[in-house]
Amino acid sequence: MDKVQLLLWLSMALFAIGLLGVVIRRNALVLLMCMELMLNGVNLSLVAFSHQRGDAAGAILVLLIFVVATAEIALAIPIVLLLVRHRRSMNVGEYSDLKG
Amino acid sequence: MSHTLAFIVLLPLLGFLLNGVLGTVLLGKPVSERVVRAIGCGAPLAAFALTVRAFLALRAGDYAPIVEPLYQWAAVGGTTFDVAFYLDRLSAVMTLVVTGVGSVIHVYSTGYMHGDKSYGRFFAYLNLFLFFMLLLVLGRSLLVLFVGWEGVGLASYLLIGFWFDDLTNARAGRKAFITNRIGDAGFLIGMFLLHQAFGTFDMDTINAGFASGTASVSGVSVTLIALALFVGATGKSAQIPLYVWLPDAMAGPTPVSALIHAATMVTAGVFLVARMSAVYMAAPDASQVMAVIGVATAFFAATMALVQTDIKKVLAYSTVSQLGFMFLALGVGAYGVAIFHVVTHAFFKACLFLGAGSVIHALGGEQDVRKMGGLRTRIPITFWTFAIATAAIAGIPGLAGFFSKDQILWYAFASSRGGSPWLWGVAALTALMTAFYMCRLFWLTFMGPSRMDAAVEAHVHESPLSMTGVLMLLAALSAGGGYLAIPRFLEAQLPLPAVVGSLEHYEHTLLGVSIALAFAGVAIAIFMFSTPSRAEAVRQRVMPLHRLLSGRYFVDELYERVLVKPLEWVSATVFLRGGDRAVLDGSLHGLASVAQRAAAVLSRAQTGSLHLYVLLVMVGIAGALFWGWRHG
Amino acid sequence: MTGGLAIDNVVLVLLGVIALVAAASMLVIRQPMRVALALVTVMMMLGGIYGLLGVHFLAAFQVLIYVGAVMVFMVYVIMLLEVREPAEASRYSGWLLPGLGAFGLLMAALGAVVGRGATASHSFVATDAFTLTAFSTEFLNRYWLEFELTTVLLVGAIVAALAVIKVSRRVHG
Repeated sequence: MDKVQLLLWLSMALFAIGLLGVVIRRNALVLLMCMELMLNGVNLSLVAFSHQRGDAAGAILVLLIFVVATAEIALAIPIVLLLVRHRRSMNVGEYSDLKG
Repeated sequence: MSHTLAFIVLLPLLGFLLNGVLGTVLLGKPVSERVVRAIGCGAPLAAFALTVRAFLALRAGDYAPIVEPLYQWAAVGGTTFDVAFYLDRLSAVMTLVVTGVGSVIHVYSTGYMHGDKSYGRFFAYLNLFLFFMLLLVLGRSLLVLFVGWEGVGLASYLLIGFWFDDLTNARAGRKAFITNRIGDAGFLIGMFLLHQAFGTFDMDTINAGFASGTASVSGVSVTLIALALFVGATGKSAQIPLYVWLPDAMAGPTPVSALIHAATMVTAGVFLVARMSAVYMAAPDASQVMAVIGVATAFFAATMALVQTDIKKVLAYSTVSQLGFMFLALGVGAYGVAIFHVVTHAFFKACLFLGAGSVIHALGGEQDVRKMGGLRTRIPITFWTFAIATAAIAGIPGLAGFFSKDQILWYAFASSRGGSPWLWGVAALTALMTAFYMCRLFWLTFMGPSRMDAAVEAHVHESPLSMTGVLMLLAALSAGGGYLAIPRFLEAQLPLPAVVGSLEHYEHTLLGVSIALAFAGVAIAIFMFSTPSRAEAVRQRVMPLHRLLSGRYFVDELYERVLVKPLEWVSATVFLRGGDRAVLDGSLHGLASVAQRAAAVLSRAQTGSLHLYVLLVMVGIAGALFWGWRHG
Repeated sequence: MTGGLAIDNVVLVLLGVIALVAAASMLVIRQPMRVALALVTVMMMLGGIYGLLGVHFLAAFQVLIYVGAVMVFMVYVIMLLEVREPAEASRYSGWLLPGLGAFGLLMAALGAVVGRGATASHSFVATDAFTLTAFSTEFLNRYWLEFELTTVLLVGAIVAALAVIKVSRRVHG
């Protein structure tokens, strides 16, 4: 197994663990952090492929993903903040108003 | 001359439209009675004048039929349906009667309906009726005739239920219309069979086809056609079994009873048969059926007229009875004689009905003959005209009814196309009863001491000239109309049947018998009713029979029980509850509730739980990857 | 693995293992602050991996932006929202077991995909593509559209942030 494959396995594992975390954890902020983990996993795979091909395209995409992820977090956290302030609970399971 | 016939037909339609718009509350306030009168009577009188002109033109052309096409109604495939008018001897006679008697009845109505709140609407409907009746009589094809046929049924409905605030009147109108429709089903079947055989609805073509023997119709078919058309005629002309609407139709204003239910509409069936005489000459079995039903109807109706106490109801049953006579004549092949009776009947029956209207008007609405009497000196003009008309219908020699009825009786006996002594016997008995009950009616209404309520008696007055003038005219026609020799006039078109050779010499005997019967009927009536106690005694003696007759053989009740109630049950249970509610509503509601329940079940997947959704995403990704791995 | 036990690869494996362990621990740690620290660890390790692969500026950005901005923000918010949950409240959502099952499926699927396409044929091209100059030139030449789009995205994010502030001001005075 070469370097790239190893890195791919790692990236997949990070992604899957992140996704698992979103399913498993109750705390809203921890949920967000797991989503960040997912993003990082994807970034890693992109870098690995970029390294393999010698093409900068993957790296550029990673850069763009940085920007997008930052913007997303910049908004997601305040939203969570407001929600928690409103409902006084960090438990994502309690936010089920769209039931039925 | 080119569009005279069209004008004859369309002038009353114009009158209907004008009066309908101006004379009713359609545009707010209706115009004055004078304007309504002018329009309402002007149209029929103009039509009559044009009819005379057309008749003269016909005569000038040696009675060759005048055909006036109007426009093409429809073209379907290879066949075209045209609206065209046709004037020959038969339709000329009918049109003269319709426009002539129709016009005078319109004039009468101006006086009779004076003060009615729907004056304009009445004349509008009356003109509408005239339009349809003329369409019926002058149409060239069965299709146009049928339009007129249906139209007069509609006008009849509108006019019977004219005072629709009273539910009885509305119901009577409805009964008339529905009963007519039943007959119309037969008419339509006959019509379609004819079209199938000839490829056209034009009656002159059909008749020519039968006459020249080129008709390729089987014997069974012809009988079927004849019977089907006759069924239509029984509906319109009140024969057994569809006569039940006519007595109830007396709920309408008296001029309506005179015009529609005596003089013109009810004779439409007779006209139809005479028009399609070629069919009936080729179907002797059907003709026999017609004759039997005709004479049976005449007999039954006469028995019911014996005991009626409402002045108009007696006349109604009398009309049914006289129509039976006409069908008897048609059934034995004497088509021209039947038409002759149509004409004379129009004169004296209209006179009788209008006279009854005059009596009712004089008595302020009273219609029960038991509460009349002693009117001879109070309303003399009505009295004399009624007397003449009564004598005419009774068959007193010299007057119109005598000639036509006697000819019917003669041909019933001696026609080579189905005449028999039995037919004659029943008809003669009916003639006796006719004379009797008409004289009874006359006596109870006008003669003897007054049995009126005091309040009514104080206001008895003769009717205005618009009414009495018409009565006098019609009485004169009842007296002299018999000399018009219509059968001979029509013979060129409707040949009289040959008389069975061996029976020829009975003619004068039967004539004598007819005269004797007429006088006998009158005499018995006078004898019985001049002394009230005698009539009462006879009534007591035959009480059960009297009850049967007063109950009109309970035919209406029979129809109600056997036909109406089961039909209502089927409609309510099978169609309403079963079909409409259970099936139609049920399927729609079922569909809706299935959708709702499915939605309720499926929406359980929307738990609102974010974790679940993401879990599903995870599984989905795994699945997609597997699928890609497999198929990639 | 080519290169055998070259120090590069050893370090790479080491960094990877630490990242994995830290990621896994994110699933079991109870307090959010400590979860944040675990995430920081992962990110740092990844940064190191990027550096080892030669994409130095990405490594720099990773640490600068992700750790330096995003995670600091996250830590700040965690401190702001004091966790008030009772100690015995579960950290798990109730979908633990199904989640683990799905995790297994997912790993299997991912593994199947990756394992199949063993792209050993590719030889590593030693390039200078990842130097800053080359990278920047490439970025702003070929990917200028994406660059512009991200600026639009950032503007959108600013507007959204302002809106959120407004809303929160209205709701909470």
